[in-house]
Amino acid sequence: MNRLLVTRVQSHALSSRSGFAQPPRTVDRVRSPRYLSAPMTRTRPPFVDGLIASLPIVLGYFPIAFSFGVAATRAGFSQIDAFALSLVIYAGASQFLALALLSSGAPVLVVAFTLIAMNLRHVLYGPALMRQAGDQAGNQAGDDAGRRHAWAWAWGLTDEVFGQALGALARGQRFSQAYMFGLGLGAYASWVSGTVVGAYAGGGALEGWPALNAGLGFMLPALFLALLLSILSRRQLPVIAVAGLATVAGTLALSATSGILLGMLAGAVAGTMRR
Amino acid sequence: MSWDLLAVALMVGAANWAFRALPILMRMDRMAVGGWLGRFLSSTGSAAIATLFVASILPALTPDLARLAPVLTGTAAVLATWAALRSVVLATLAGAVTHGLTVWLLG
Repeated sequence: MNRLLVTRVQSHALSSRSGFAQPPRTVDRVRSPRYLSAPMTRTRPPFVDGLIASLPIVLGYFPIAFSFGVAATRAGFSQIDAFALSLVIYAGASQFLALALLSSGAPVLVVAFTLIAMNLRHVLYGPALMRQAGDQAGNQAGDDAGRRHAWAWAWGLTDEVFGQALGALARGQRFSQAYMFGLGLGAYASWVSGTVVGAYAGGGALEGWPALNAGLGFMLPALFLALLLSILSRRQLPVIAVAGLATVAGTLALSATSGILLGMLAGAVAGTMRR
Repeated sequence: MSWDLLAVALMVGAANWAFRALPILMRMDRMAVGGWLGRFLSSTGSAAIATLFVASILPALTPDLARLAPVLTGTAAVLATWAALRSVVLATLAGAVTHGLTVWLLG
């Protein structure tokens, strides 16, 4: 889900059933000074790690979903309608556009194909994530155990969940389906509950708290910046620079959605051309 | 509930699930290990994060210093917290809190 498009808009060993074995934590301590003072063993389940990692997303999603719930009821849809859109579609920009198109009387098939086209970029997320997991695990990411429950956890692969999961892999964390479930569930629950609260509360509930509203509104840009810092390396610089410039150009010349698609494709193509 | 809305929700929801799950289930990441598709997919993640950051910060960039100040202080807080703690969660929260506090202080 993208804030721009809607305009206002994170161990123990894992069983093979749930993905890849968590590496010894000593590896992480060598890689990162923040683990030097950590306990020798950790017993926290990866599902809980995922839930904890979802916290910034949870805090970022809730006010956006709240806004969506308000916008839906203002557009004449019921609270149940707003809840159903968030539960079944789970893509913020698409949902806001659905309100505009449906309330303007656009044909159902036109509305559906427009919204489907907006989310085409999600096709790249799963393979990119599994590729990163495979590189890290010596190209074992393709085994059945690592994907057994993908039909379920992949539903939660939004822009922010993908970014957070990729950042965790880039920092040395092994891929885990349980982690993905925790990360995705936190974000999904926040999105759906925010919608319901917004639909029932109506407009103006956060308008009396401008500082809180502003801080929550900055959560997603702050998350993306932190994720960008976590993957930053000399090797990635050309990809990042090209993607950023293409996003600016595409947004200014065409639209926000075009800017995002152009940025991702231009950055990925720049990465493809390097040796 | 309107039937039009339900029909749209079901079609778009099914497509969203297909876009997110089928490429993993179909092992699209293994189709060209080491080839151009492999390099393309390896770069997609970094490109996506850079893109999403730029896309989310662009609307907040304005010549109006009073509106730009919270963005600058929030961004500085993310950078400083990341440099000190190397924690995505804490850096994000620090940025949001600093942003909100700046808005509050500026009235």
